[in-house]
Amino acid sequence: MKKIEIFLTIVVILITVGTVLGVYSFEKYRRSQLYDVELTARAPENGNWYPEKITVSYGETIKIYIRNIDTVSHGFALPDFEVAVNEIKAGTIEIIEFTADKKGTFPFMCTIWCSDRHLEMNGEIIVE
Amino acid sequence: MAKDKLFGLIDINWRFDLTRFKIIRLLFKSRWFPLTIIIINLFLFVIILLAGLLGGFSPGNFNFAIMMVWILWWVLLMFVLVPVFSRVWCMMCPFPIFGDWFQRRRLLQVRKGKPGGLNKKWPKKLRNMWIMNIGFLITTFFSGFFTVRPLSTFILLGSIILLAFLLGIIFEKRSFCLYVCPVSGFQGLYSQFATSEIRVKDPAICKKHRPKTCYVGNEKGHGCPWLLTPFSFKKNTYCGMCLECFKTCPYDNMAFNIRPPGVDLLVKEKRGLDEAWKSFIMLGIAIVFFMTMQGPWSFLKDMVRISTWQGWLTFVSAHSLISLVLMPGIFFLFSYLSRLASRNKEIPVRDVFINFSYTLIPIGLGVWIAFSFGIILPNWSYILHILSDPFGWGWNLIGTAGFKWTPVWTHLMGYFQGATLIIFYLFSVVYGYRISKQTYPKTREAIRGWIPILCFLTLITLVFLWLYLG
Repeated sequence: MKKIEIFLTIVVILITVGTVLGVYSFEKYRRSQLYDVELTARAPENGNWYPEKITVSYGETIKIYIRNIDTVSHGFALPDFEVAVNEIKAGTIEIIEFTADKKGTFPFMCTIWCSDRHLEMNGEIIVE
Repeated sequence: MAKDKLFGLIDINWRFDLTRFKIIRLLFKSRWFPLTIIIINLFLFVIILLAGLLGGFSPGNFNFAIMMVWILWWVLLMFVLVPVFSRVWCMMCPFPIFGDWFQRRRLLQVRKGKPGGLNKKWPKKLRNMWIMNIGFLITTFFSGFFTVRPLSTFILLGSIILLAFLLGIIFEKRSFCLYVCPVSGFQGLYSQFATSEIRVKDPAICKKHRPKTCYVGNEKGHGCPWLLTPFSFKKNTYCGMCLECFKTCPYDNMAFNIRPPGVDLLVKEKRGLDEAWKSFIMLGIAIVFFMTMQGPWSFLKDMVRISTWQGWLTFVSAHSLISLVLMPGIFFLFSYLSRLASRNKEIPVRDVFINFSYTLIPIGLGVWIAFSFGIILPNWSYILHILSDPFGWGWNLIGTAGFKWTPVWTHLMGYFQGATLIIFYLFSVVYGYRISKQTYPKTREAIRGWIPILCFLTLITLVFLWLYLG
């Protein structure tokens, strides 16, 4: 096999496998710089908040990356730390930030009527 | 002899060969073309598949896979690629690259010797459009998912790519593209209307040339991967424009012509029921798609989304009935009336039915272009979003991730759709009369036999005008 075919084989491998690995590595690095916790939002019947319980360390500044992977808008509120996002549209992302300056278990919830089971769309942040 | 002019303006036999320009001739003869475009497209499809997989059940309007495939690609296909450049998508399609690679054992160069894979012949009984017809129809049963849920687009595209590879291992050359690919069938059908073609420049040169290198291949290129005989090309339907015949012809006798639209409709060769049914299916799908995607009937949308199994089964049954039975049934009635009106009992109704089914190609393409206005005008702005944030991860690659949803000219959509339908209806009419003259030997018979078909074409155009504008 001539050099040109070897070159093209490498190009195809880079384009297929390389692209997938490249995208994942870049995103992993980017996220590590961006936030501490990833939270996905879906209506309760489609999976609810994930994770529903988030544990963070006392005194730290926490960034939560909220992805709405649902087909309807959701909201986010963490009242004890006075943090809220009015609307996270379907398919979009919001990043919230707060300082975990008190210990205990604190509820967070969806603030938009997203489904018949909207009131079940709750989670907890545990500050230890 | 007087020239046959379309609308009294364009000579049907007019051609302009683009390969007269050296740069195009060299490009077509290069082994790097269209491989380079295929590889770029492969990269694009890796991103599409990844976005589809990662997108899961998230909304389609912020997903690269959904937007690129069902908005950009589909609209480009219907607006430009098929009506202007025939099957140019097949030229750049990355789906069969792995099958080709396996068979040829090379990506770029031509290798002598036995091809890889089992290299079996495609079954004779299946050498037609029926698998593509049924495959495409079945695909549309799940349109409520493919066009809105990224994961289902991933499954669909992934299955096609996998099937293309597996069939490439088992069957010779591009059997998959020719007989199975769901995208291939309607492209082939509507490419007959295209304003470009690949044909032989001088048939006398081919007649003397032995061996037929365009068919058997040589050191410069592969024998026609689409199992055709380029030296006798008469219509676009099955030519995948891979350009191998440009490379293998030692006399530079292949031309890439610009031509008047629709001239293939007058080619009698290889007309058949499979192609006729493709026309009916495409029209049936257009009706069903409009009603379920762009129409005001929300209960139909629920049926397509499988809100209930009963609703979805009703949708599938009605859709199949319209496309496979109702449309052809009504057309058969008009074909029967055509023969009756012509007073020529020697022409079989089957021939009348098949021949006149080709009049549905321009109007069918027009219907799909009109439908595509309803896709692109309200949704184009999402494309800017997904180019910046292809995986919905909050990226902003080119600074357009925050671009708000901005429909354009939607208040003019009805005018665009109406004008498109009327223009393509006129093409159906001018070709229809010529087909009538081909079908019936005497002019008077042709005129009389043409009237019922003209009524059908007018009726179907009015139905679509009512649907789109009503």
